[in-house]
Amino acid sequence: MAKRILITDDALFMRVTLKNILTQNGYEVVGEAQNGAESVAMYKQLKPDLVTMDITMPEMDGIAALKEIKSIDPEATVVMCTAMGQKNMVVEAIQAGAKDFIVKPFQPDRVVEAVGKLLAA
Amino acid sequence: MKVEYIAPFAEAAVGVFEALIGMTPERGQLKVSPSMNTMQQINVVCGLTGQLEGIVVYGMSMITADKIASKMLGQPVITFDALAASAIAELGNMVSGHSSARLASLGYECDITPPTIIRGLNVSISTTDIPAIQIPLELPDLGVFELSVSLRQRVSLAAA
Repeated sequence: MAKRILITDDALFMRVTLKNILTQNGYEVVGEAQNGAESVAMYKQLKPDLVTMDITMPEMDGIAALKEIKSIDPEATVVMCTAMGQKNMVVEAIQAGAKDFIVKPFQPDRVVEAVGKLLAA
Repeated sequence: MKVEYIAPFAEAAVGVFEALIGMTPERGQLKVSPSMNTMQQINVVCGLTGQLEGIVVYGMSMITADKIASKMLGQPVITFDALAASAIAELGNMVSGHSSARLASLGYECDITPPTIIRGLNVSISTTDIPAIQIPLELPDLGVFELSVSLRQRVSLAAA
């Protein structure tokens, strides 16, 4: 059965791009959240195998959503996928439990490699 | 507004265009305006908060926006719809994100706000009285992507 992924990004363009990359590589995109709060609610409902998480979003940012998801499910697999590449942001996300950190713009291979490695484990 | 604040944006924009659409823009002449205004049709506005505060505007013509969005989407943009607008907004977000990483390495930790697109000619944005520095980036065959940066050191930090 295909592994189930929840995409979180406020930009329609990014959601479409990520969905295309993931579905073309055999994953099932079970949900698309537009901000952190939606992502947390959809995580509870859908229990995906992996979540992609943008950081800069309205309502609730990705770091806050990551922390909330990890408090609900400490085993959650969350991959940050953001344009914010500064060191303190990466450190904060990894300390909060993110499994990988992809900086936009990315090549499709980078996403496939990160997701493949985490979901194969 | 210090001139050193704009270099990270110009460098970030060049890097983002190279990674995103495989094109290297050429930097044009720097220009200073007493306040933030843009003569472009499509403007992506991002806020910065933290050790530097203010706004950054990425302006371009409608034709240039269509051409850049077409490259990003890998298909021609016939009308500038929600998906095309989102691609251009995300481009602004990427340039701002990479700029803030460069600013952090210079000692200015900043956060960025989600991008907003403003359409229309001759837009004056008067949230602050900080002068703006503009730098055009010429993209071969696509047109001009204009960076306008209006930032200052946070007042409480500058006074310290």
